[in-house]
Amino acid sequence: MATINVNPKPTYASTNKHVWCPGCGDYGVFAGITKAITDLGLDRSKVAIVSGIGCSSAMPHAFSTYGIHSLHGRLVPVATGLKLANDELTVIGTGGDGDGYGIGVGHLVHAARRNIDMTYVVMNNEIYGLTTGQASPTSFIGAKTKSTPFGSIETPENPLAVAISSGATYVARAFSGEPAHMADMIKNGIQHKGFSIIDVFSPCVTFNNFNTYDWYRSRVYKLEGTGHDASNKIKALEKAIETDTNAWEKVPIGLFYKEDRPTYSSLDMTEKNGPLVKQPMPTKDVVKEIMEEYR
Amino acid sequence: MKNVSIRIAGANGDGVESSGALIMKVASKSGLHVFGYRGYQSIIRGGHVWYQVRLGDEKLYSHGKDIDILIALNQESIKYQKSHLGKNAIVIYDPSKVNTDEIEGKGFRLVKIPLLDIAIKVSGDPIMRNVAAIGATLKFVGIDLEVFKGVVKDMWLRKGEKVVKDNIDIATTAYNYEGVSTVFGINGDGKQRYTMDGNTAFSIGTFAGGCKFYSAYPMTPASGILHWYAAHQNKGVLFKQTEDELAAMNMAVGASVGGVRAMCGTSGGGFSLMVEGLGFAGMVEAPVVVVDSQRTGPSTGLPTKTEQADLLFVMHASQGEFPRIVVAPRSVEECLAIGAEVFNLAERYQCPVLVLLDLYLSERIESIDGFNVDPVTIDRGKLVTSNTTGERFKRYEITEDGISPRGIPGNPGTEFIAPSDEHNEYGDLISDSLSGIDEYVELRRQMHAKRMRKIETMLKNEKIFVPEISDPSAEYFLVTFGSTTEPVEEAAKILSERGMKVGVISFNYIMPMDSDKTRSMLQGKKLIDVECNYTAQLAQVIKTNTGIEIKNRILRYDGEAVTGDDLAESAEEVIKNFKG
Ligand SMILES: Cc1ncc(C[n+]2csc(CCOP(=O)(O)OP(=O)(O)O)c2C)c(N)n1
Ligand code: SF4
Ligand SMILES: [Mg+2]
Repeated sequence: MATINVNPKPTYASTNKHVWCPGCGDYGVFAGITKAITDLGLDRSKVAIVSGIGCSSAMPHAFSTYGIHSLHGRLVPVATGLKLANDELTVIGTGGDGDGYGIGVGHLVHAARRNIDMTYVVMNNEIYGLTTGQASPTSFIGAKTKSTPFGSIETPENPLAVAISSGATYVARAFSGEPAHMADMIKNGIQHKGFSIIDVFSPCVTFNNFNTYDWYRSRVYKLEGTGHDASNKIKALEKAIETDTNAWEKVPIGLFYKEDRPTYSSLDMTEKNGPLVKQPMPTKDVVKEIMEEYR
Repeated sequence: MKNVSIRIAGANGDGVESSGALIMKVASKSGLHVFGYRGYQSIIRGGHVWYQVRLGDEKLYSHGKDIDILIALNQESIKYQKSHLGKNAIVIYDPSKVNTDEIEGKGFRLVKIPLLDIAIKVSGDPIMRNVAAIGATLKFVGIDLEVFKGVVKDMWLRKGEKVVKDNIDIATTAYNYEGVSTVFGINGDGKQRYTMDGNTAFSIGTFAGGCKFYSAYPMTPASGILHWYAAHQNKGVLFKQTEDELAAMNMAVGASVGGVRAMCGTSGGGFSLMVEGLGFAGMVEAPVVVVDSQRTGPSTGLPTKTEQADLLFVMHASQGEFPRIVVAPRSVEECLAIGAEVFNLAERYQCPVLVLLDLYLSERIESIDGFNVDPVTIDRGKLVTSNTTGERFKRYEITEDGISPRGIPGNPGTEFIAPSDEHNEYGDLISDSLSGIDEYVELRRQMHAKRMRKIETMLKNEKIFVPEISDPSAEYFLVTFGSTTEPVEEAAKILSERGMKVGVISFNYIMPMDSDKTRSMLQGKKLIDVECNYTAQLAQVIKTNTGIEIKNRILRYDGEAVTGDDLAESAEEVIKNFKG
């Protein structure tokens, strides 16, 4: 969570060259995360960006904070382990739709129900970018990709509905073409105590010529100002499945659902006593006492 | 040495396990050594289960092949156990439940006691028949009933005076029943030892060694470690039951990068799911400890039986190459000592340490003299907690010994990225867009060599990577590793008593192997390989490392736990037909 910044002028950007294609939606997400942590004035040594594998998962390298660039689909358990080791860290997950909704979707369900205090930004481009354009779990029926040259025949996954029903306590959607709004969604997600997920439409300009910036721009509308009650789980689910029932005519972005529920670390009997990494190792007396139980 | 093997047999739900545990407790209190092993199945009720408890006046190394006393709680116990009865075995049974026709006239001492009747008359509770059987058993062994009374008071007083009195009355009635007499007369030395199984010992060892994070998904026979850590969360460790072993492994890596001593554990099937994460730990140089308590494979195999067939698997699991340490503790006592040391090795060399247990070690119960925690030290290796140089921190700095400074997220100045992709000294990628460019071809070579150099460093700095030899002047040597070591030592002892000169060469740390020292130890000796798998995996590893081929072999893969007397028989046979 937000820690007091000790560095008056933090620079969160690394000196690494960005790896994304010109125009890739992931640049917008980089800008959005940067704005969110800048606005919050986080100490960069207290921020860890954890990713999986994919174009989007190159994100940690764009920052000068701590980071783990983990395995395809394992972002969430790696981030969970890191957060459980040190609850003082602001842990931000950054990955793709294939990574988080395909190969790693099992972990999403469990991190959500556990309410791990992390912010998970999924760059959803409805395609596998890094592996040069195969269908992803969010690809539309009919989508022509390298793995579905005759059109996809699978119903796309609805990640927001999965997240809400699994117990995520902050569920939002954003669009790379709306950077200021996205930064707000991420910032609020970081400030939220609990499992926050922000599904970001982040167009792949190289391998997905269907879900383009223009395609989204003509469809998205902001939930803010529509009177949507983000504390109502049923309404949130209704909004989440709106695109399933209106053939993506209108696509809501913004905060779908927010709930205050104790985080995993606040309930765990060990973590309750402060960050694990700062807790002392057991004394020899404790070990001796335990040994006596077996005499 | 005097010793007796007692087997309690019945169905699941008959109290077989608690009876075995009670006998061991009483024996241990009277200063006897104990060794317990459970034969069970993956069902919760019914089936045929047994618990073998061996008691002796010296240290015991296995549960013993032949049964000296059988407590037969049902008819199946006669049917399935008769082939295991030793010469002159005593069979305790209740004639209202069990018919002994099929073992009549074979020289066994059949002791008829109305166990159920005694139990119901005193307490009204039929399950108390086990207490009657235990009472009779104690008399046969020669353990004073006073010791039993003390144990029962300790255990049951919180349930009230009546429970204690019932237990004592029932046991006393059977103790003094006609036909029950002291046969073995084994006397304890009065020393109060510790009794525990391998999983418990390994848990306590790692706990003492500073393990603060244990993530696991339930799987026999590793679940004992899970249960131990779950029960000791109030002692400052974080236990996490995960959704699967992928999560268990990757959480442990996350926690380890986060700076805490982290471990995950499973059996072979779960370890299969952990493999990609293991390679990740190797690449980001995360000091994690991974436990594989093996069971009979392949696939789901025999979930409640033992084997040592994952050795080559854990040595080679994952794509690519990276340094790792593989260790197979050889006894319950060593589970404590090695448990206390594995994190020092993991952090010193910043690499995964793989611990190979198996069902026979995880679940065998042994008496041990103790665990000396005072000399246990914590060495966190090249851990760096701050960096004020103003320079960017080189988490993966290329060093002569291959070990780089390690920072921890949260501390200022040591920011880095831990990437599963190949990277430079800072943790920046040199994979996708840079690979193949001359400068980065060279950098990849250097980074990989840096990691791999840690193997030479550990071989140079540590003295643990050689086997132990028991009796260098022997004529034959039984070569083994891990859980099979103690039964092998017992076999060697039995053979020596029969006039053969047999020693033991046993491995705990198997990878890396100090080839030169190991070769000079093995060279020119008459070796017999003993292990629990089909393909002689240890012998293969020895050959690869030393060039020495062990042609004489005793290989077991029936799932059952080996015993000293049983291995002695096989070894005698091999020695008779020794292939030069
Ligand atoms: C276990 C495993 N399987 C497959 C891959 C190959 N792979 C790398 S990235 C990727 C898909 C990436 O898609 P996504 O997560 O949507 O990220 P994007 O590139 O679109 O941002 C795949 C299949 C891998 N690295 N690891
Ligand atoms: S391939 Fe697509 S997702 Fe990957 S960097 Fe290029 S535009 Fe972005
Ligand atoms: Mg994608």
